[in-house]
Amino acid sequence: MPIQLHRIDDRLVHGQVVVGWGQPLDIRFLILVDDAVASSDWEKDLYRMAVPPEMEIHFFDVATAIREHARFAADPRPGILLTGDIDSMQRLVTGVTAIGSVNLGGIHHRAGRSQFRRYVYLTPDEEAALHRLEASGIEVTAQDVPAARAVPLSEMLAEKETR
Amino acid sequence: MTTAVKPMPRVPMLVKVTLYLRLLAVQGSWNYESLMGTGIGFTMEPALRLLPGGRGGAQYRSALARQSRYFNAHPYLAGIAVGALVRAELDGEDPARIERFRTALAGPLGSVGDRLVWASWLPFCSLIALGVYGSGGSAFAVVGTFLLLYNAGHLLLRAWGLRLGFRRGLAVSSGLGNPVLRQGPQYIGSAAALIAGTTLPMALGRIVGPGRAVAGGVIVASLIGILVLARFREHAEGWRIALGVMSLFVLYSVVR
Amino acid sequence: MSLLDALPLALLGALLGLDVVSFPQAMVSRPIVASTLAGAFIGNAGAGLLMGAVLELIALDTLPFGASRYPEWGSAAVVGGALNAMQEPGMGGALPTSLLAALLTASVSGWSMVVLRKAIGSQLAGVRDDIEDGSRRALVSLHLTGMSLDLLRGALVTLTAMLILGPLVHAIVAVWGTEAGLSRSVVVVSASIVAGGALWKVFHSVPRVLWFFVGGLVISLGVMVLR
Repeated sequence: MPIQLHRIDDRLVHGQVVVGWGQPLDIRFLILVDDAVASSDWEKDLYRMAVPPEMEIHFFDVATAIREHARFAADPRPGILLTGDIDSMQRLVTGVTAIGSVNLGGIHHRAGRSQFRRYVYLTPDEEAALHRLEASGIEVTAQDVPAARAVPLSEMLAEKETR
Repeated sequence: MTTAVKPMPRVPMLVKVTLYLRLLAVQGSWNYESLMGTGIGFTMEPALRLLPGGRGGAQYRSALARQSRYFNAHPYLAGIAVGALVRAELDGEDPARIERFRTALAGPLGSVGDRLVWASWLPFCSLIALGVYGSGGSAFAVVGTFLLLYNAGHLLLRAWGLRLGFRRGLAVSSGLGNPVLRQGPQYIGSAAALIAGTTLPMALGRIVGPGRAVAGGVIVASLIGILVLARFREHAEGWRIALGVMSLFVLYSVVR
Repeated sequence: MSLLDALPLALLGALLGLDVVSFPQAMVSRPIVASTLAGAFIGNAGAGLLMGAVLELIALDTLPFGASRYPEWGSAAVVGGALNAMQEPGMGGALPTSLLAALLTASVSGWSMVVLRKAIGSQLAGVRDDIEDGSRRALVSLHLTGMSLDLLRGALVTLTAMLILGPLVHAIVAVWGTEAGLSRSVVVVSASIVAGGALWKVFHSVPRVLWFFVGGLVISLGVMVLR
């Protein structure tokens, strides 16, 4: 079974991921791809506490995640791959051609960002990065929880309003 | 993160009580920009007055600004963050370190709390209340049982979190390994399944009303519906289905 | 229903709507509590409790993750409980019609929470510089404004729902054409499907969960036989 979701979410492991997606999709492992977290023991300790005992969590920097992706994609159990920002996901998909779609799960307010959805705020540079991602053949949609509609990138950027 | 052991800063009991009471309103200014952030600042504010310079001093102002930025967590476990961050500020930790800690703490507190409370304790208590209802309990008994049971867990969890955070400070992550937080949801889930089997038939029987046994058709229709809903569980929103069914049924009952 | 009759219910809806997220989240806003209180308010706690039990089954499906959009059950349960309690006894359409009113209110009220959160966000944008400067006054004022607006939100939702849906429910119940037993059965089937699906969604990964459930059913049957 392929990895169920490649998600960009600046909160990384939180309730929407573990319970919202994790329970209905029977997620059995998370792959957290973040250069800073992968090199920080105390942060890894914190995120280990965030997942239930029946769920595995693996930490990689982007370069290692590119090498390891195929192994996890071949895992029969359902899993979710998370990055905390667009840049990490972009570098990942550049190295892994098997990734066909990317989910925007949460990119929150920061100075210079404008609002596109309740849970998506982007700078013009980030907008451009998402365009490039889509232009490279990746389907990009915004969706916070499974029961919500997956909103295509073009629709989200065109609306630019708080839904 | 290295965690140098520093003596516990002295925080007057009145301030601790105020923190706890403010914690009950931690989501009062929840919004899509800072999420729970401003609520965290609001909750911590009385403790920040203890910083050198007091209320309005430079340290107080920079700490209040820092703590009011973007943050999110489960509201009942937000006390862990509040306690730990108060401790870090009073210990005079490096602001950059506090901010990095704050960012990393948010997701885990949300995940652990959502699993333990929204996806375990709350449905468990609901099922118990429905059980009291199904066994013929009065309105007072049903409401009283639910509120007492649920809030025993709720209020204790908030108090425990605040205390844990304050005691451990930036080393609080080990506290999240507490067996109640790790294994609790699974045990509560087993108990909830048992309670569901015991109480739901009785509760449904009482809703159908006296003198009318739950007809076989009702049971079969319910079971088929549950199987279908379980099949599409990741996409189905039950309340929307109920809204659609009731709209059609009301329309049918009016025009027939 | 007159404005004067609806005002006390609006106050109850406001307080219970506030409990959902802002303060104190003691789950006084859960349907089984809120609806029963509303029924008691009208003088028929039993009818409120009945609606509360039905709505509680449906609300099992709602996991209120902070940032996602979900129905708001506090004010909705006040509306459902009050409307069911206000109908003449023995009217077959009372429960299904009041339930529909409650579900509609929950949906609108969930949307009103999104509006409130945006309004607080706009308020924050206006005082962000002050808060970044460590202004206690700006922060406390934002927080208290948020809670006051939430209180107002719950009151307005409840009041509007009672004034619009109250007469509608009354009119529909008067011309109801389905037999009372069947009406109840449709409600029970709908609520039990939602509850069953919700519990399965949440607990299906618990080891041996079906055995625990079946064990519960056996106990339940035993109790019924012994009664």
